[in-house]
Order: sequence, then structure tokens, then C-alpha cells
Amino acid sequence: MSRVELLTPEGLRVDGRRPAELRKITSTTSVLSQADGSAYIEHGNTKVLAAVYGPCEVRHRALAVHDRAIINVELNVAPFSTSERRRRTKTDKRLLEMSSFVKQTFEAVVMMNLYPRSQIDVYLQVIQHDGAMLQACINATTLALIDAGIAMSDYVCACTAGWIEREPAIDLNYIEESSDTSEVTIALLPKSGKVTLVQMESRLHVDKLEELLSLARDGCQQLYGELDRTIRDRAEDLAKKIVV
Amino acid sequence: MASTSISVSAAESPAFSFSASTFQKLHPVEFFRKFISQGVRPDGRLLEGFRPTTVHKNVVSTANGSAMVRIGGTTVICGVKAEVAEPKMDSPNQGYLVPNVELSPMCSSSFRPGPPSEQAQAVSEAINRVLKESKVLDLTDLCIEEGKAVWALWADVSCVSYDGNIYDAALLSVMTALSDVRIRKPTYNEGIIKVSGAEILDDENSFTLNLARTPLSATFSLFDSSMALLADANAAEEAICQGEISVTLDEKGQICALSKVGAASSSQTLLRQCIATARTRTDELRSIIRSQ
Repeated sequence: MSRVELLTPEGLRVDGRRPAELRKITSTTSVLSQADGSAYIEHGNTKVLAAVYGPCEVRHRALAVHDRAIINVELNVAPFSTSERRRRTKTDKRLLEMSSFVKQTFEAVVMMNLYPRSQIDVYLQVIQHDGAMLQACINATTLALIDAGIAMSDYVCACTAGWIEREPAIDLNYIEESSDTSEVTIALLPKSGKVTLVQMESRLHVDKLEELLSLARDGCQQLYGELDRTIRDRAEDLAKKIVV
Repeated sequence: MASTSISVSAAESPAFSFSASTFQKLHPVEFFRKFISQGVRPDGRLLEGFRPTTVHKNVVSTANGSAMVRIGGTTVICGVKAEVAEPKMDSPNQGYLVPNVELSPMCSSSFRPGPPSEQAQAVSEAINRVLKESKVLDLTDLCIEEGKAVWALWADVSCVSYDGNIYDAALLSVMTALSDVRIRKPTYNEGIIKVSGAEILDDENSFTLNLARTPLSATFSLFDSSMALLADANAAEEAICQGEISVTLDEKGQICALSKVGAASSSQTLLRQCIATARTRTDELRSIIRSQ
């Protein structure tokens, strides 16, 4: 089996991007009629839909916390989302792990003490998977929570980064992720610059980590611009409709 | 004297008056009846009116065929994936076509997380029966090598937003996705079947499905014993209706499936009316698909 050339001699990746370039981002909010807040985000070919229900009454009274809300995240990967059909059950450990990452990331940012004894449900549906699933899920959740009007202290922007051959790169796609690269996902609060999530599972020399993290942080700041623009455009739209 | 009589009539004035939305929550059936008596529904539709329907093909590039369907507030995404599988012993040259409808808590707060609900399973089975009994696809078309390998088509329908009438939306999405399917032609090399990873699919290296017929449906709900027939009920209407009539027709107007459940008995004229309205509706749906 021939090895795919991840980085051409001119420094272009498999999809023609430069190493420090993000994929094309498309994002919209308020796409679902039933959910309190919803968002759809595309990072190139990775498509994720997020729906937020809440704050509402806790389903199991025993789980209610008297002074804050609980966040519940459920991640669902559609069987047709990857190039090989894979039926992932809801209790798949990888998915549960990823949903707990999303949950813990947002527990730090959502002002949960404003909604005591209530529950905020976040449902994520991965429609197409072309790498950077956690990144897309976190970004979609940010937009959906804002769309639902849930108070947060800051946006949460996530970005993946990894070493491709000899260059650090951001926003890895499926081919790059499945090859033997070390990949890290970070989630950043853009206004304060604080990092709420760092996730890496592969081997990496400690000297190379700093460079990757700073590149990922830049990627997050870029993403913040895009997400903020989507929210502001939508708010302007709504404001125009209210003022008659 | 005059003043006391005025104060008495003031005390008799109605003590309760609700806003429309409060009334809807307290007396949903009464609220609805007030509209039906005027021949309209709360969302402004006539009794036989269907909600605006949009269809988009090829929305998921990782799937062999896909479609997204919106009927009012109900949104479903269907992806069809083809996998190589071993055929059954008693039908060695037939492939598989397996539909599955998923109603997750994402689409509505009325669904709880857990195994597929009765409703989801019933809709999946209804679509499965329509596909089988109407012989929509000749399963021998999916044969690669008799007795050894056949194509299995998995049609997964994921509902992302639920506002009633999941059956119509799901069936429409499955039929549109099937019409969008393109499967790479496998090549044989010393008894090993290879499916190449060529990027661009064209008529040379792939094939589309030959659908014998395209069954599409129209669902009506029965409200009250006055038998008001509501076409394409949304979630609020489904909750207060007692019965449902569903008509599935193909392009020639032949009935592929017919079901009536719940409510008191309905007359034959009602059924005939349903079938006639369904004919118009499915013709409309076919032109929507064709314009894609």
C-alpha cells in the first residue's frame, strides 16, 4: 500500500492547504425548530449539528444540585458519517469519553450558578467525519449555547494541531489524523487566553509541544473571529426584525 | 338603586380570561376545536393543507447517497452506505436493503435517551415493508458474486428536529437518498474482490440504483369524533388526535401501503378522500424531487 504524501516538497498538505491554515468554516445558528438553541458548523468536510435543550427541570430528581445546573452532553456519530459504515452504539467508550470532555470544558465556562436545580442538555450529531471531531463538537456547542441564551463567561474555541512530517499544522483532516502523527486538541477562552482543555494521546517530544500549543492557540483566535461574526450577524438579523 | 345594579353586573363579569397560549396549555382540545370550527388550524393551514416541504440531495459526501428532508419543523437526514456482505443461504444472489429510523432526544424534548422507542421501530418497520413489498429495488441487482458477496445497503435516517409526521419525512428521505446512490463497481482479481478508491465517480467506475417504483406517502390525522381530517399533523396536533390514516402511493397512483389506526370507525368516503388528496400530494413531492 503506497503511503500518502502528507506534505509535498512545496509545503502543501493533502487538501492543498498550508500547514498553518484552517479549513473553510461555515456556521449557522437557530437551524432546528424544536431545540432551545441549535447550531451547525462545517470545518471543511467535517459537519456537526448541535442542539441545546434547557435550562429545564432535572430528569432524575436525585441528580439535581441545589445551587447550580448540571450539564449533560450526548454525542451521536451517524453511521454514514465515515467512509466505512460504523455503527457506534451510544455506550461506545470513545464517544462517552469525548462527550465527557465537552461536558467538562463547558462546566468551567457556563455560569451554572444562575440556573440552580436545573439541567442543560447538549446533543451533538456528527453528520460527516473528516477529522477534528472534538474541535467541531466544542465549537458547535459554543454557538448552540449562545443561541439558547445560556449565560457563559466567554466563547470556547477549539482547534487541533499536529506534526505533519516536519511541520506543525492545525485543523487536521481524517487522512492526517489516521496517519502516524501526534495530534493535540486544545480549547481556548479567547478573551482571557485561558486554556480549558488539552487532549493528546500520542507520543511527542516535550520540546515540540510548545510550538504546537502556540500554533493551536492562534488557530483558536482565528476561529473566535469566525464564530463571533456568525453570532453578531444573527443578532443583527434578529434586531432588524424586532424594530418594525 | 341604579348604582347597586351596576355594581352587581360588574361582579358578574367574567373573572377568568386567558391569553391564547395559556388557553392552549390548559385546554388543548378546546383550543383546537375553536380553530377547526372555522375550518383552519392554529398554524394558519387549511385542514387539508400540507406544510412547506424541501428536499436536498447529496448532503453527505461520505455516504453513497444522501438526502435531507424538511417538512415544516420536522427535519430528517438520510444516508445510504453500501457494504460488501455475504448473502443469505436461501437467496445467494440477493443483496440487502435495510432502513433504520432514529429518533434521538436531540430532535424533541419528548424523546428520552435509551434504546429505540416503539415509534422509531414502528416507522423503520413500516418503511422496510414498503420497500420489500413494493419491490422498489430488485435485490439481485446488488449481487457481486453469487453465493459469496453482495452489496448491503444501509439506509440510516436520523431525525434532527421532530414536529410530527415522521413517517412521510423518513420515507421521502429514503427514496430520495436511494435515487442519489452511486456505488463503485468492484473488480475481481484472483478471487479477491477489490473496490478501488478512485476519487471521481462517473458512469464508468460506478453504478446507480434502478428503482422500479418510488413510493411516497401522505399521512392524515383524525381529530375528534366529528372526524375532522387533518393532513400532515405537527407535534401539537398529533398529541390531541386519536387516529391516523397513512396512504403510500407510487408514481402510477397504485397503493403501496395503506394504514388506518385508532379512533372510531371512519367512512369509506373518508378513505377515498384521503387517497385522492394523497395522489395530489405525492405528485407534488415527485416534482420537488425531480427539481433537485
